[in-house]
Formats: sequence, C-alpha cells, structure tokens
Amino acid sequence: MSPVLELADLSVRYGGNRVLDIGALSLGQGEVVGVVGANGAGKSTLVNAALGWSRGAAKVSGRIALCGRDISRMPVQKRVGEGLCLIPEGKLIFGTMTVEENLAEGEDEPGDGRRTYGVDDVYALFPRLKERRGHLGSQLSGGERQMLGIGRALRLAPLALLLDEPSIGLAPKLVVTVLETVRELCADGLSVLLVEQNVKAAIAVVDRMILLERGRIVLEGPAAEMKDNPRIAEAYLGAQKR
Amino acid sequence: MNVGQQIINGLVLGHSFALVAIGWTVLLGVARLVNFAHGQMYMLGAFVTWAAIAEFGLPYMLAVPFSMVVGIMVGFLMQQVLLRLTLKQDLVSIMIVTLGFGHVLHGVAALVFGSTGQILDTPFSTKNVYYGDLWFTWQDVAIVMVAVIVFIALKTVLEKSRLGRIARMVAEDPKLALLGGIDVRKVYFGVFAFEGAAVALAGAVIGPRTPILTSMGFDEVIMTFVVVVLGGIGSVWGSYLAGISLGLFTAFFGALVSPAYTTPAAFLVLIAVLVLRPGGLAAKPGGH
Repeated sequence: MSPVLELADLSVRYGGNRVLDIGALSLGQGEVVGVVGANGAGKSTLVNAALGWSRGAAKVSGRIALCGRDISRMPVQKRVGEGLCLIPEGKLIFGTMTVEENLAEGEDEPGDGRRTYGVDDVYALFPRLKERRGHLGSQLSGGERQMLGIGRALRLAPLALLLDEPSIGLAPKLVVTVLETVRELCADGLSVLLVEQNVKAAIAVVDRMILLERGRIVLEGPAAEMKDNPRIAEAYLGAQKR
Repeated sequence: MNVGQQIINGLVLGHSFALVAIGWTVLLGVARLVNFAHGQMYMLGAFVTWAAIAEFGLPYMLAVPFSMVVGIMVGFLMQQVLLRLTLKQDLVSIMIVTLGFGHVLHGVAALVFGSTGQILDTPFSTKNVYYGDLWFTWQDVAIVMVAVIVFIALKTVLEKSRLGRIARMVAEDPKLALLGGIDVRKVYFGVFAFEGAAVALAGAVIGPRTPILTSMGFDEVIMTFVVVVLGGIGSVWGSYLAGISLGLFTAFFGALVSPAYTTPAAFLVLIAVLVLRPGGLAAKPGGH
C-alpha cells in the first residue's frame, strides 16, 4: 500500500537562502509522525511547503504526492480539495465569524470514499465548540481556537493533516486533550504530520518521530526508540528552557 | 430656503452617492483593493445605457442590464490585468494602474461616443411629481428605490449566503481562506465583476438626472472615496448612512452657502470625522 503523503527532494528557499532540504519523508495511513527540533529548524516551513502555502515569499521545489498522485504543481486550494489540509501556527480561524460560520465550509461529498466530518461530528468530538457555536472566533480561548482549527480542517474530509504547533499557548491539560483527540482521529484512518515543540507530550501520541536541524532531517525512528535518544532529549530540554 | 425640498434633494443625492459607492465598498472591504477608474466606469455605464437606447433602440429596462453586463466585462478585464498585483496586494501599483485605466476608458469613450454632452432620457426622468411646493421626478424615486434594494440585497448576501461567507473569509485573511480550499482568485474576479455591474447600474439610474459627458467621473470617484472612508471601510450600512449624510450635507450647504464649495466642505467633514472617529461613522469610538 502506497503512503498517504510522500515528500521527495523538498527544498525551500527564501531569497538566496535554502532553509529546508528534505530528501524523503513519507506518512502512512493512520500514522502520526512527529516533527521536532529547535526554533528555526524548519519545522513550520516543512508543513507549509508540503501544501505549497506560505505567508512569506517562499520558493518551493520537489515532489509531493498524495496517495501516489503528484500534487506538486497544484495550487493550494486544489491540494486542500484533494485531501491535504494544514492547521497553521498562530492565526488558524476567522475571528470575525462565529464558530458555526467557521465550520460551515466543508466537503460533504468528496466522492472518493474519504471519511467526511459533518458539523455535528465536530461538535461530538469537541462538545465545548457546540456550547460556543454562536460566539465569534475572536472571543474563544486558545484551546477552543485550536479545537475549532482542527474542526475546520476535519470538515474538509482530509486524508492527511499537517498540524503546526497545536500546543502553543495551551494549558498542559489541554495539550494532552488536543493530542489525544488527534490520536483518536488517526485510529479512524487519518494520517497526521505533527510539528511540536512539546516533545514530551508529542512522543506519547506519535508512531514515528523526526528531528530537524537547520532544515535537514538528522534523526528518524519509531517513537519508542527515539524516546531515550540523547539528541531528542537535547532538543526537548532546549524547548523547556525557552 | 425650502427645507422640505432640500431634504428631498439631499436624500436623492445621498442615495446617488451611496449607489455609486457600493462597488467600492465591496472592493475595499472584501479585496482590500482600490479602483481609481471607478468614476470612468460610472461614466461608461451611463453612456452604454444611452447608446443602447439611442443607437440600438432598446427599452430603458433592457438597456440597464445590458449596461451592467458591459460593466461586468470591464471589471473582469481590469482584474485580469491587475491579477498579479492583486495577489501581491501591491496597493501603490494598483492605484497607478487603475488611474491609468480610467484615462484609457475616458479616451475610448470619447472616441466612441464623442465629446459632446448627451441627454439620457428615460420613461421616468421626464415625469414630474408635485406635492405642494415640493418637486421630484420618478427617476429620483427610482434612484432611492434601486439604492435601497441593492444595499439590502448586498447586506443579505454578505451575511446570510455561502457566497457572502466566502467573501468575508477572503476579506479577513485571504491566506487562511486558501487553507479552507477557497479559490481566492475567483473571489477577486467576482468582486471586480460586482463592482463593474454595480457602478454601471449607478450610471444607468443616476445618469438621467443630468446631461452626461465622457469627461465626467472624477467628481464621482472623489465622492465615492469620501462615502466609503466616512462610512468605515467595508461597512455596507456605514456606506449607506455616509452617502445619505453627505447628500443632505451637500444639499443644505449648497442652499445655505454655495454649491461651488461643496466638495471642499465635504472633505472638511471627512477630516473632522476621521480625527474624531478614525474607523469612520460605522466604527465604534476609538477607530478600528
């Protein structure tokens, strides 16, 4: 069975500077792969480049395949339509719209056997959002925004989810809740590439982990093996010292 | 001074300002773009309506949608030329290109329609209504009705429909809208097409009030600017209220002082409002 997401020779440049250089990275069905590394290692650049999305002027090259289909030349909205979704770091919902409006856009009949999530499915996953359905996005707490961001992505019937730093600004208990929800979604067949600085929380839910340094993969392996690796510990401690 | 007559004049003028400005309200509110060819597109709307009636023999009620279709085509053409700048949100270049586009439209219109003034007669513009010492035409009634209908329709579409929701998403954050699978380019094309149709409608409905000239358009774009900024950028009701307020102000200022100084006076009001309420009339005190 071919991987859900395959990245090959993925390179990102800002001006003349190459900030990401990934030889090969794949994501299997129902798999959670964690991407860890220090600040500026290229973690966010990696997930943004996989979708061809950037708030800056990044130049991306390389091959990106979703379920064996080359999507490298597709514009962002087409890749999303194909089932590759990104929940970015920072602004991830529309603040001037209600929770319900944020969830209104979705793929209800993608037509290729993809698992769909209706608004009620999202509310079942995150009951707090149902209670806040009439509130504006700007009125939500950090945790609620993260839930809504995940809910918005689920509404698009994703095959693979690129999740960028979901724990930022969240209370430790909420981090666990959000990551456990991600794990549950993967049990349903969703594949997730999870960028996370909170290595301790991430390692509990990922199947595999990669360590990025200066835009390159320097270490890769199953979560159980990576747990005690000194380089991972170093990266983890670095994150805690911040 | 006949106060009742000035109120009628002000309301008709105010609805005219609001109707001319509605395309800009959406353009600035949704796409964060400006179009300084807006006035010349208004002129073109009036002249295409005139030509449809005088040259092609179409009835007024068909000439208006014909003019709107031409407006949509002009809007599409402009956006096609501007697309790269639009996606980069390069406002300075967009200002210059649209100013240039306005001059091109003026030149083409003068070549096609001539430089002499024309009268755009409609079945409503020649029918007067007298009520005591008050006077207006059915065309004035049409202006008010069309403006009210267009504003209510726009407000409803923006707040209640999927199309409006997508437009608001792009207005708030086009990059984030992309992540929702929204084709932002299509939204920008739609916004320019709406602007073209709306300003052509304004030209077709307001044009019959005065002789039309291919040189007109500059005053209209200035007043549009005042209305949109005064109302609060992107605010539909704000633009409507600002249009009415500006119309009443212009009518009374013209009657009490002199019509020659209404534009500078309108800008004085704009400056005063922006100092006191930086976000415009529709914004909460304190600005954006």
